[in-house]
Amino acid sequence: MLVVDNLVKQYGDLIAVDGVSFTAGKGMVFGLLGPNGAGKSTVINCISGLLRPTGGHISVAGFDIRKEAKKAKKALGVVPQELALYEDLPAIDNLRYWGKAYGLRGEYLESRVDEVLNTAGLADRAKDLPKTFSGGMKRRLNFACGVVHKPPVMLLDEPTVGVDPQSRERLFELVEAERENGSCIVYSTHYMEEADRLCDSLAIMDHGKLIAQGTVAGLRTQLGARDVLQLSGSFPGDATKQAIRALASGGIDLEIINHEEAGLTLTLSGASQHLPAIFEALSGAGALVSETSLRSPNLETLFLLLTGKELRE
Amino acid sequence: MGFVLSSLKKDIARWRQDATAILLWISVPLLIGGILTLLMSGSGAKPHGVLLIADQDDSLLSSLVAGAYSKGELAELISVEKVSAAVGREKINAGKASALLIIPRGFSDAFMQSEPVTLTLRTNPSQTILPGIITDVTRVLLDIGFYAEQLFGSEIETIRQANGNRGLDDARLAALSIAIWHKIESVAPYLFPPAIDVDIVEPPPDEPGVPFALLFLPGTILMAVMFAANGLAGDYWAEHNQGTLRRLVSTPARVTGFLAGKALAAGLIITMTGGLVLIIGFLYHGITWDKLPSSLAWIFVSGIGLFAWFGALQMMASSQRAANLLTSMLLFPLLMVGGSFFPFAALPNWIAEIGRNTPNGFIVDRLTREITATSVWAIDLQSWLIVIAMVVSGLAVCAWRLKAGFARG
Repeated sequence: MLVVDNLVKQYGDLIAVDGVSFTAGKGMVFGLLGPNGAGKSTVINCISGLLRPTGGHISVAGFDIRKEAKKAKKALGVVPQELALYEDLPAIDNLRYWGKAYGLRGEYLESRVDEVLNTAGLADRAKDLPKTFSGGMKRRLNFACGVVHKPPVMLLDEPTVGVDPQSRERLFELVEAERENGSCIVYSTHYMEEADRLCDSLAIMDHGKLIAQGTVAGLRTQLGARDVLQLSGSFPGDATKQAIRALASGGIDLEIINHEEAGLTLTLSGASQHLPAIFEALSGAGALVSETSLRSPNLETLFLLLTGKELRE
Repeated sequence: MGFVLSSLKKDIARWRQDATAILLWISVPLLIGGILTLLMSGSGAKPHGVLLIADQDDSLLSSLVAGAYSKGELAELISVEKVSAAVGREKINAGKASALLIIPRGFSDAFMQSEPVTLTLRTNPSQTILPGIITDVTRVLLDIGFYAEQLFGSEIETIRQANGNRGLDDARLAALSIAIWHKIESVAPYLFPPAIDVDIVEPPPDEPGVPFALLFLPGTILMAVMFAANGLAGDYWAEHNQGTLRRLVSTPARVTGFLAGKALAAGLIITMTGGLVLIIGFLYHGITWDKLPSSLAWIFVSGIGLFAWFGALQMMASSQRAANLLTSMLLFPLLMVGGSFFPFAALPNWIAEIGRNTPNGFIVDRLTREITATSVWAIDLQSWLIVIAMVVSGLAVCAWRLKAGFARG
């Protein structure tokens, strides 16, 4: 349904998206995961036609986004990160207007408007102005405007930013319902738990590049059963590294992910069994541990493993 | 076409909620234009003053002097009111008259005997023109009286005495007439024809019968049109901030359809605001209603042209604040030179020439022609084509800016 092939977007010397490729199929949620500034929104904007790619190809429902832009756009439903609503136009008229922008007319338009109002839980507020809505209701209307024309491919750009937990749950249900209906959904987020819950397939982005891609289960496998141990304090350079290498050569399966003067991140198997040995070795190397964090394998630790930094940094 | 209508309906629905703005676009020009029109029009009457005459002599001669102010064109300027000297002083002190003329007792006798006599003329210091006219007229009257006494002294004395004796018999009247006729004949070669004759030539008016106050109407209408066009063009930034332009460019709908719908909606709102001022002007000036459709059509098309250009300027600016500053800086100078505060007829020629070549001045000039011409649809085809070109060029710039990044910000 959606094919992105070697997508490049460049602003002068700055490469915002660098050779991104992925494919998303029917009835699946494809997650684009990465920290703020990773290039997720640029990818979404290139697909939606808001930005002209510097290189690469994009195909939506079989239509090339450049050569058959109108057909490709008709097959796309976009839910932008920022609200995109007429706050001074009743909710129902917002839906009618955007429905018409996608070429819907007459009875079909009215039935779709009624349908999405019900799905979004806004039927009783249909004639009210969005400026009187809560943030969560506006987000749901924003979502409804993007799907009123029943698109086969949907682009959701961080749709839950600034939304209360209850409305977030409602949005998740809307996304799941669209997936059940057979839509192909590209879901951009920097919330690991959202990706974990919703996404069937995932691409992790950083600095404009895809650094990992696959199903959620597959990515977990890539991480293996290794835990992530994060230590804060004081870690003298060579002595710390020598101490860790000595542990590794002594039979402990561990690896340094990141080492700074004030922090040390390790990945290792069966971390809890080896903690006393690690602390002893570090103490012998003159390191001082003030804080310890041990995490089981998940997408966040995978991101940490791949980039050496936290997802929300 | 469907999306054009849909965009039109959407914007009308949104803008009609902002009734306060629409009311201001109408009321501010009406207030300014109304004040200017009232100042310049009035009833068209000449200034009129009151001359109080205290005739203490109550003679034939004093009556002639008093009556001289009520003759011919002087009567259009001055109303004569006979009063006693005391009442006259009271009124002139209260500023209720332009001047007080006191003709003293014995004036007639002194005049006939060529003895010195003083007429007292008190003028109202709060007025300038009318007391001046009365003073000049009084001086002329006294000069005429002096020469009349020199020429017809004996005849006047005869009439004066006969008036006291209740009339002249026919023989004396005939003799008097003959004597006067002979004296006139003797001086006629010196008086007729006058040695100097003044021939006053006035150029014929270009378009006869256009009251000056009516010339304020097109400028006042354009003020409302400019306010509305500028205010509505700000909606591009409102849509930009609401994110709806971003959503628009991700849909298959044509940007030109969106712009055309918005322009038509703006045209309707502008025609409503300008049209209301126009109708009030028609009622006030008594303009024939057959000019209404053509005037409204001109306001509609040219209003869209101004909206399109203001929109293009708004979209060229780097921020909403810069856009508002830019259009405000342009708006008021354009109104000043473009005939909205002062009609072109009241401006120096070189400013009027510049004004007529500004977009709004061009529109004011043609609207003035439409309103004041003797026929309807008086605006030429070339002018219509120019405003249509304004619409197309303005919207083309808007479309280019929307596609070139204004939508995504």
